[in-house]
Amino acid sequence: MAETADKSQSLAEEYYVNDKQTTVVEKAVEVKEVENPKVAASEEPVAEKTVEETTPVAPAVAQESSEVTPPPAEESTEEQSSGNVEENSGNEDVAEETPEIKLETAPADFRFPTTNQTRHCFTRYIEYHRCVAAKGEGAPECDKFAKYYRSLCPGEWVDRWNEQRENGTFPGPL
Amino acid sequence: MKFEWLFLTIAPCDAAEPWQLGFQDAATPMMQGIIDLHHDIFFFLILILVFVSRILVRALWHFHYKKNPIPQRIVHGTTIEILRTIFPSIIPMFIAIPSFALLYSMDEVVVDPAITIKAIGHQWYRTYEYSDYNSSDEQSLTFDSYTIPEDDLELGQSRLLEVDNRVVVPAKTHLRIIVTPADVPHSWAVPSLGVKCDAVPGRLNQISISVQREGVYYGQCSEICGTNHAFTPIVVEAVPSKDYGSRVFNQLIPQTTGEA
Repeated sequence: MAETADKSQSLAEEYYVNDKQTTVVEKAVEVKEVENPKVAASEEPVAEKTVEETTPVAPAVAQESSEVTPPPAEESTEEQSSGNVEENSGNEDVAEETPEIKLETAPADFRFPTTNQTRHCFTRYIEYHRCVAAKGEGAPECDKFAKYYRSLCPGEWVDRWNEQRENGTFPGPL
Repeated sequence: MKFEWLFLTIAPCDAAEPWQLGFQDAATPMMQGIIDLHHDIFFFLILILVFVSRILVRALWHFHYKKNPIPQRIVHGTTIEILRTIFPSIIPMFIAIPSFALLYSMDEVVVDPAITIKAIGHQWYRTYEYSDYNSSDEQSLTFDSYTIPEDDLELGQSRLLEVDNRVVVPAKTHLRIIVTPADVPHSWAVPSLGVKCDAVPGRLNQISISVQREGVYYGQCSEICGTNHAFTPIVVEAVPSKDYGSRVFNQLIPQTTGEA
């Protein structure tokens, strides 16, 4: 585990990019990566298939963005167990404006700890539209709620709810 | 070639071997826990089987009518009654403690996931949505996943298991899979990941996965959903996080430039 931690840290230093954007702009999407050598509590090293995991070959050259399936290179990436996770794929040389993709999604909500997340999706949707009603369209505070409900709700559900809101038949308390 | 079969057997895929009885190789801590629990319980099962078989054979042997022509009418022993009440109740405790520990650790939802994937079941294919990278309700990374027919299989591909578009996830990352159907109940099950989650219409069920090694993992629909229930496979490919970012980037750019 000590070797893994050291290797992970060196990899983190190798691929860390200081230039980060705090907000996700539509045309400024960039693939970033921040690695944390601390082992998450729920992550356990699987004893089987040790040969595959202990391959010491690290990807020396940053791979070009292509849809062809690259050979899977073993990487000791260990993520934080809470909060947003940003990852860097080392694609700075791909294009002039390298888009940015943050690996973040709606967080776990203690109001909905069970397997059933139906009302979690519904509640996030309602929270967003209440925020828009209170702060106006395009308010930056409401972007967070928009990302949350888009992560959780299927597209068909959102389309149906949008249609119901326009018709005034949406059943939720907006 | 003569030795072509040699390379097929070491392909890095996690699928059931022909006539396989045991578990597929574990790729998540959850599946590893399930396999370990199975081994623990099986130990007790073997002990119970041997013990009960021995008593049964002894009874058949010693109470044979030639050996024991006049059977006893009243047979009672207080000590043996107490013993065979206490010991059988202790055994389920040794089975229940690890079982409950695993069951409640599988309900781990306090960890914030890094990615949310929506698996939407249809008759008889699956739609997957990656909606973490949307800027509006319209823009979404969505694709359908159909089975590859038996006639179109290439060398090395498995029958009834391959799909045309795989779910790509980063390894060693906490994922949230939201399972729901669009028509009838389905079930999203991948044995190597140790997950099986019903897709109930009108309901979003959530499972948490943390794939620990890169590879390709196969699953199938596990809730009877009609004629082609057996032809609705699931393929999950775990890649390094850098590769995952590259793929998402490649799929997002055409949409972004298309809108611009």
